[in-house]
Amino acid sequence: MVSRLSAKSEEETEEVHKPSKATQLFIAWRKLKKSKLAVIGGGIVLVFLLVALLAPIIAPYNPRQINQGMEKLPPSTKFWLGTDNLGRDVFSWIVWGARTSLYVGFSAVLIELLVGLSIGMIAGYFGGIIDEILMRITDVVLCLPTIILLIVVLSMFEERGIHTTIIVMGFLGWPFMARVVRSAFLSLRESTYVEAATSMGATNWRIILHHILPNTLSTIIVLVTMDLPWYIFYEATLTFLGFGDPLTVSWGILMEVGRPYLRTAWWITTFPGLAIFFASVGFNIFGDGLRYALDVKTRG
Amino acid sequence: MPLRTYIIRRLLIMVPTFFLVTALVFTLIHLAPGDPALLLLVMGGKPGTSSESVEAVKEELGIGKPVYVRYVMWLGKFLRGDLGSSYITGQPTIRMITDRLWWTLELMMVTVTVSLVLAVVLGVIAAVKHPSLIDAGTSLLAVVGYSLPSFWISLELLLVFSFLLGWFPSFGARTHGTTFPSFLDALLDHLRHLALPVISLTVGWVAYDFRLVRSSMLEVLGQDYIVTARAKGLKERVVIYKHALRNALLPLVTSLGYTVGFLLGGAVVIETIFSWPGLGKFAVDAALRRDYFPLLGFSAIIAMMVLLANLCADIAYAIVDPRIRYD
Repeated sequence: MVSRLSAKSEEETEEVHKPSKATQLFIAWRKLKKSKLAVIGGGIVLVFLLVALLAPIIAPYNPRQINQGMEKLPPSTKFWLGTDNLGRDVFSWIVWGARTSLYVGFSAVLIELLVGLSIGMIAGYFGGIIDEILMRITDVVLCLPTIILLIVVLSMFEERGIHTTIIVMGFLGWPFMARVVRSAFLSLRESTYVEAATSMGATNWRIILHHILPNTLSTIIVLVTMDLPWYIFYEATLTFLGFGDPLTVSWGILMEVGRPYLRTAWWITTFPGLAIFFASVGFNIFGDGLRYALDVKTRG
Repeated sequence: MPLRTYIIRRLLIMVPTFFLVTALVFTLIHLAPGDPALLLLVMGGKPGTSSESVEAVKEELGIGKPVYVRYVMWLGKFLRGDLGSSYITGQPTIRMITDRLWWTLELMMVTVTVSLVLAVVLGVIAAVKHPSLIDAGTSLLAVVGYSLPSFWISLELLLVFSFLLGWFPSFGARTHGTTFPSFLDALLDHLRHLALPVISLTVGWVAYDFRLVRSSMLEVLGQDYIVTARAKGLKERVVIYKHALRNALLPLVTSLGYTVGFLLGGAVVIETIFSWPGLGKFAVDAALRRDYFPLLGFSAIIAMMVLLANLCADIAYAIVDPRIRYD
């Protein structure tokens, strides 16, 4: 009881002496550093980024290079994680696959961000009938499970490649982002500083871009961090199920390739799966830490 | 608003939403560049197709007509229970779906039950022991479980428990070609087939539900009425199970309804790996072959299931938490 009361008064004083943006960032950074899990998660993400960036240096072979007579070799000093059914080096494939996965994750999140932010901003700021229509559309898109929607839509595309997958994922993944942004806008719209800006004759766009958007930034950052591993996971799942381009150097493709040989060559499927796991654990833990540090609630 | 009015209102909202969802899927499918190609591929599966049958298919698909006309054509048939038939097997879609629905429902129900029981038990323990090593350990495990790709888990399970140890069968829902001496043997055989798919799906769900139970339990345990209950001198067990847990489970009730969609999505992948004879495998096969009508029918049925589940969640929530009705 006592602690609750004091927590409340702390909140109130914060309202009065609102720390500057730089101080807020500093506090968030300090909280982030203090959380062991966030540091571990951030470390994994960093390793992942470095591997993707330095792929040409790290990978000992060209991942596409087919080595006849060296098919399905178990892990050894020559091929660290073994070779696949065409004699391609699994380790090199995974290293280059990190690049593909990151590319997929970031591009899909970017599309999601553009679509979700625009729809959420418009719905939350203007409200009324526009909000009603946009939110009904959001409900409808949310109604079908993402992976099923992806499969149905992707199946109809003539060209199955990584870009088709990215675009379809990004354009179907926005509803949640839109909802969260909308609810943030709904509450910020009523704040005194927006009222002040309106009274000084600021235009709608100025208020949206300069006053409300910067204040939703932490929510958006957290959402993006938490959505990114989902796109990596979806891309892997889709390519694993056969909706990808078999020539893409991606983790999902390697797992699809290795699936028939699970009994005799377990390494082809096991290692790319571990890579997906580490990438998503890294982003998930880091996202959790960020959410805590930036004090964000991710409920739409 | 009385409960009955609320339910009726929610049911009425469901109807336009259903039309919108199917319209959306329909439009998305037709937005994809490959409409004439669709026909070619559909016919390409059968060599020696006569021009008459091509014309018949064109007529059925409504090729050349605007998308909304085709949608209305499809919807009209749908409402009469005609979901078209597969171009590959010639079977009516509705038969294909009803034959497989049960298997998917079984997989989902068993997964939900197992995950819920485990998640509630572990979640309560973690929240009550917060902060402690047990709490930190289970929470870390939850992040791991949450991040493990289900299709990878199932492949590893297959490798270890089916191929190496031979404890569980690797595909299907029952052993074909064997007659079982008794019902019990048949059931046991079925359960052995069920084990690996359920475990693969459960890992992620336990982790997800656990996080929900734990955080909601932690929140409830900090409430004033828990302090009151303790101050009254009630036993800790009564405080936790009677006062705290009942309220902490509320968010789980809604989440259950809203996660049906995700569960179905997960089932799609797992069913494909284990050749489980359910809707998921059917959908992937239909999608890979671009089997038009089964795919549309499947999407419509899934949308209906998700909408119904959401409705149930809302009603359940309105019953357990009467405040919600006045929103």
